[in-house]
Amino acid sequence: MKKETSKTIRELAYYSSLGLSVALSIFIGLFIGIWLDGKFDTKPVLTMLFLGLGIAAGFRNLLMAAKRSRKL
Amino acid sequence: MEHPYLFFVKLFEAIGLGHFVHGNVHVVYMWVVMAILILLGWLAGKNTQLVPEPVQNVFEVLVSGLEEFMVGITGEEGRWLFPLAASIFLFVFLGNLIGLVPGFFPPTASLNTTAALALVTVVFTHVIGIKYHGAKYYKHFMGPVWWMVPIILPIELIGHAARILSLSFRLFGNMMGHELVLGILFALAGAFFAPLPIMALGIFVALVQAFVFFLLSVMYFTGAMEHAH
Repeated sequence: MKKETSKTIRELAYYSSLGLSVALSIFIGLFIGIWLDGKFDTKPVLTMLFLGLGIAAGFRNLLMAAKRSRKL
Repeated sequence: MEHPYLFFVKLFEAIGLGHFVHGNVHVVYMWVVMAILILLGWLAGKNTQLVPEPVQNVFEVLVSGLEEFMVGITGEEGRWLFPLAASIFLFVFLGNLIGLVPGFFPPTASLNTTAALALVTVVFTHVIGIKYHGAKYYKHFMGPVWWMVPIILPIELIGHAARILSLSFRLFGNMMGHELVLGILFALAGAFFAPLPIMALGIFVALVQAFVFFLLSVMYFTGAMEHAH
């Protein structure tokens, strides 16, 4: 395999996996929040907090990808 | 989705293990994939020669190509990770591909198999991190400044959980969807060879999914070997 082709394939796989990880991060945060709210009986507070953290984690993936693409 | 006729399920029913097999089809077919891989490996390494036989030749091309590709990502220090990464690739690829044979069920179309693979991969990234950075590995989770720790730590933990889920769900979803489409098309218009284009696409999907799994695990390994950002 040529060097250019292997680089293209690598980036294709990396960026195509980015969207799924953003969506999953948000949902993981949301479900941790819902679960903790059920445990501690503090209905909307922890759900909102962990949803925010999940969204932050998802967008951190995008930021990391942007940083990586600038370095390459 | 239970298939109409699975060859190895019938085989296990014949020797009186039907009860076990119906709940664990993917386990049985994982054994089949393992047996095929062991057989191929034995054939390839039986008598290695300077001028290779066909089986040895195929394996040499495959393994050396994968190794070159992987070292291109990790750098020379990551060469010792190759056995794990290559066995992940070979197992996932053969597991995907075996679903195209009539009477066989792809073991990767079950969430149990893919979650096991993803767990092994992600746990091993932390093993690599501890091996390379020792106790300082915790800095990977702490962010650049100390007052940001309460924000960064949960974000990093969620990110690592998302790695496990995205690795396992992607492979499972693709293979499960492929099987489902094949089943539906076969029931609708099997007599007109309707599933045939999807089966041709399935070869491509099997290769791409195995490759993506391999590539992402290698990238996670590389991320664990790097210094904290």
